[in-house]
Amino acid sequence: MAIPQRKTDIGPPKYDQFLPPVIKKNYGKWKYHEVINHGTMVHVGESGDKLWTVRVASPRILATATIREHCDIAEKYCDGFFRYTTRNNVEFLVSDESKLEPLKKDLTARGFKMGGIGAAITNVVHTQGWVHCHSACTDASGLVKAMMDELMPYFESKDLPNKVRLAVACCVNMCGAVHCSDIAVVAVHTKVPTVAHENFKNMCELPTVIGSCPTRAISPDPANKSVKINAEKCMYCGNCFTVCPPISIKDPERDGVAIVVGGKVNSLRSNPKFSKLVIPYISNEPPRWPKAVAAIKHIVEVYAANARKHERIGEWIERIGWERFFSLTGIDFTFQSIDDFTFMRDTMRTSSTFKW
Amino acid sequence: METAELQDKIFAFCEAAKGKKKLKEKDIIKGVSAELGIDGDTVKKAMRAMIDVGRLMYSYGGGASSVEIPSEEYLREKGMIK
Amino acid sequence: MKKYTTPLIDELEKGPWPSFVTEMKKAAKTNEMANDAVGHLEKCYSTKVGYWKHGGIVGVLGYGGGVIGRYSELGEEFPGVAHFHTVRINQPSAFFYTSKALREICDIWDKYGSGLTNVHGSTGDLVLLGTKTDALETIFAEYSSRGWDLGGSGSALRTPSCCVGPARCEWANYDTLDLCYSLTQEFQDELHRPMFAYKFKFKMSGCACDCVASIARADMSIIGTWKGDILVDQKEVANYASKGMDINAEIVNMCPTHCMNYDGKELKINNAECSRCMHCITRMTKALKPSGERGATICIGAKAPIVVGSLLSWVVVPFIKVEPPYTEVKDLIRKIWEWWDDNAKPRERIGEVIEMKGMRSFLEAIEVAPMPQQIREPRKDPFMFYTEEDMVAFKAKEAEEKKTGKYKF
Repeated sequence: MAIPQRKTDIGPPKYDQFLPPVIKKNYGKWKYHEVINHGTMVHVGESGDKLWTVRVASPRILATATIREHCDIAEKYCDGFFRYTTRNNVEFLVSDESKLEPLKKDLTARGFKMGGIGAAITNVVHTQGWVHCHSACTDASGLVKAMMDELMPYFESKDLPNKVRLAVACCVNMCGAVHCSDIAVVAVHTKVPTVAHENFKNMCELPTVIGSCPTRAISPDPANKSVKINAEKCMYCGNCFTVCPPISIKDPERDGVAIVVGGKVNSLRSNPKFSKLVIPYISNEPPRWPKAVAAIKHIVEVYAANARKHERIGEWIERIGWERFFSLTGIDFTFQSIDDFTFMRDTMRTSSTFKW
Repeated sequence: METAELQDKIFAFCEAAKGKKKLKEKDIIKGVSAELGIDGDTVKKAMRAMIDVGRLMYSYGGGASSVEIPSEEYLREKGMIK
Repeated sequence: MKKYTTPLIDELEKGPWPSFVTEMKKAAKTNEMANDAVGHLEKCYSTKVGYWKHGGIVGVLGYGGGVIGRYSELGEEFPGVAHFHTVRINQPSAFFYTSKALREICDIWDKYGSGLTNVHGSTGDLVLLGTKTDALETIFAEYSSRGWDLGGSGSALRTPSCCVGPARCEWANYDTLDLCYSLTQEFQDELHRPMFAYKFKFKMSGCACDCVASIARADMSIIGTWKGDILVDQKEVANYASKGMDINAEIVNMCPTHCMNYDGKELKINNAECSRCMHCITRMTKALKPSGERGATICIGAKAPIVVGSLLSWVVVPFIKVEPPYTEVKDLIRKIWEWWDDNAKPRERIGEVIEMKGMRSFLEAIEVAPMPQQIREPRKDPFMFYTEEDMVAFKAKEAEEKKTGKYKF
């Protein structure tokens, strides 16, 4: 069969051809929206037009068969128009109210889960993990699945003081905004990498490898025409492995996950924040990572019980103080939570006013 | 300078770096234009034309992109040689 | 087709949340590559290590990105994933689709790839997971002839992405979808042909809610804002109160600048002191809305932790008009790239280069004046540079003061 003529530099198709008529008509003229429940919201235009959005969970990895099922549903209730969100949910867009309940009924019958809107836990931003990444030290999709199975009530129906944004990174490269999440899991290495000296010369550039190290732990090893790694300085970030394949850092028994909390990206009330390390290490426990999942659920529950309405996790902790966060959650405070990388001078306490 | 001659010079520049340094587009443009005293845009155009026909190719490794002389395997893949 | 027993990942088909394993198995029913991907993943779960090699050199002729080479170390055991390359398809602004368009994408992918996708990848592309090297040119021809182009990868402009913006949000201060589309089209060359020291990302958010996390992960974060007053509809304020909202506790006391008060009847805002954080507006969207001049704040430099720690973007241009044809924004981008190109070492993001070379060097190159809006606080040490021009200016100011008899600090 003939292959069609390729075109280059055409860019993506223009967005307007994918907008439903109600959006084209009310574009830039929306007046307000209301969250009806965690699964549904309605936007109202200055024109009085209404657009209902039904949000549905997705595992991000989708078979084409499932995308086609999304298409079937959109054709039946939304004239074929729908969208996905930055957090990988599917959103069905309904402009005819009479189709809303039948849509929801159909979604339920097909086993789709609706939720994630408002003061809830929505889908988890995550990386490729073992499914498709070379530098993964855990699987991201599996962790997400195990976490969300436990947190399902907060997706579908239960309210929280504010949204809780979760993320999973399968290594410290942290693709996606993992470093600014309310709670995130980041997979870590814990051992100094080894170097296969015989392959170094052919596969790696010396200045690049030395420059890749944030702690200056790598120096030339002229005898081996390779590099050596200073074990006292190495913090196992794995960046040298990224730039130089003969360097190896994976270790199934030592690789694990850490938990960071209190980040956010919006500027509501307080400035965007990085997430901070609270649990330095939990063993990698596929297929369901029970301890990591329990830790996340526990932090969510302590937050739900203690934070004021509208406070994000980071804002709640800043109000009560980190010492109180550790005492309320019962999480052991370890050396790893004290910065000895680049930010110590900004993160140590410099006053005698703290809580017991 | 004729484009064909310029392209030969660009090719020679890449060949000289082969196995020693991973060249970025910018390295080639700067290097060749300094060597021959011609403007960077001309070099860039000539180089791009070489990439479009597979005489040079974009490569990727160690977390960064570079430009290099394609392997036979690559050319075979693209149907450039049999 | 080989049948794999997968007791470990089968555990991830249990429970209420949709299962990616179920998705992989769905594709595996009719696709050899997806089937081997299932067996390959089970192997990872049993040994607790991954088997993907570093990305290799694959792509389509003339482009330096858009395809990520992926090969398994276990190609003999799982031949379907020996080559398992990723194709990034540049998504339409704000991820709106029609079923017709997506069906077409799926049909092509089923023909040449694994039938597995990410909708979407972290950067925003529609990601097609798993195909072989010899299919790449055909895949590209099939998609591009139907109006779909590849996204960015490597040391290039990465696929820009934006929030839902004016398409379905009352808070958008500029047209994020159109700016995203316009910049993507303008910079096609930079997107497909890696010419930078490292990656560069744009993300567009219509307001400070920043639904695409631009402040945390874009080298250039374009965040909508405004310059006028917040208009208050007192009737709607009363409605919120009557429905149980404690306006003092939930709105007034949570205002970071304490620029509001509420006496039980009327909500007053001292707009001059408002920092436009969006808290009150998002909680009382029927009652409050911005007015006046609209535009964006440009922040520069965010990145993830590698190499020396994560960065959030820094405010560089407090306010810029964002209107078609976006000439001002595009000119600014070109100036930013020129300075970055002149100063970056390989694999240095722009935030890192600014830290190395100093914000002054950057601001001068892009012709932006120093402003208190750019900083959280001034420097606290007394070590600073004085150029000859600085001294001439300080002296000239003092000479002027002597003339007028009035100090100007």
